[in-house]
Amino acid sequence: MGRKRNPVEPGEFEDPIHNYDPPSYADELERVLCDTEVAQMRIQPLACVQKDATVQDALDVMKKHDCSSVVVQDGSKALGIFSARDVLNKIAHDPSARAKPITGYMTEHPQKVYASDCPAKAINLMAIGGFRHIPVLDIDENVVGILGPRRTTQFLEEHLI
Amino acid sequence: MGLREDIMTETVDQLPLRRAVTVTPETSTEQAIKLMRESQLGCVFVVDEFDRPMGKFTERQVLSLVCDCDPLDGPVLNHMVPIPDCGCVKKSDPIAKVLHGMRETRLRFLCVIDDKGKVVALTGQKGLMEYITEHFPRQIKVQMMASKLHMNSREGA
Repeated sequence: MGRKRNPVEPGEFEDPIHNYDPPSYADELERVLCDTEVAQMRIQPLACVQKDATVQDALDVMKKHDCSSVVVQDGSKALGIFSARDVLNKIAHDPSARAKPITGYMTEHPQKVYASDCPAKAINLMAIGGFRHIPVLDIDENVVGILGPRRTTQFLEEHLI
Repeated sequence: MGLREDIMTETVDQLPLRRAVTVTPETSTEQAIKLMRESQLGCVFVVDEFDRPMGKFTERQVLSLVCDCDPLDGPVLNHMVPIPDCGCVKKSDPIAKVLHGMRETRLRFLCVIDDKGKVVALTGQKGLMEYITEHFPRQIKVQMMASKLHMNSREGA
């Protein structure tokens, strides 16, 4: 609802957002989820391979970084994501897949968030889309990080205390 | 009430729980992987003769086995991870305990047990995210419509 205001005299300054009502949040956790940025969550380190890598290359990177997903990139753009679920569904029973290109086994066109998006958006994507790992992009669509279950859980618990 | 208070006071049975898949320690690792794939779950619980959880075998262990080129034969007992106390919750526990348990165990899955310690369900990251999302219906609508930036460069830069 706009606030009642007095008529403005000629030459007098009128605040263009005088009737703006800032959002209100029930508690600090809600504020943090809606009013901060994904960039403030832990989005690094980022494990990635280029599109010409093999499945074995991706497995080596996952083992080295002790992580359960890698972003498959074309330069600095995200082409797909390869995760522990892909290993379970496509690789575990097929040892010959190791030497094949990662592009045949990754999940293409992963859902992404921008570093400037609010954490609630990332959580919505995880809940609605069922995505566990979400690449984080800068404004030029370059991959700058990744969000996963551990990092999201850590973020939530830090702000719950 | 705010989200924080809800998480601290509401109980695990308010979360979307999923049916847990259980196996015995003698089940072969290959069979456990097949069950995970069929049930589209990233985890099976290894239980004793009283259905009490002994450990869990997750896609993380599958990844580790594949990375190390370890054979997938042999019983799942050889590859399971023991479940610490904080890895189990009861339906009457506060939701905050799920968050705490996931952080402590560094896993996505927690075992929901009854008063006798039997496995009754599975919860974890996905259920928790769904619970949180229900608190932000307005934001969901806005964000689903505006899932792409309209600007190509920073405004005014």
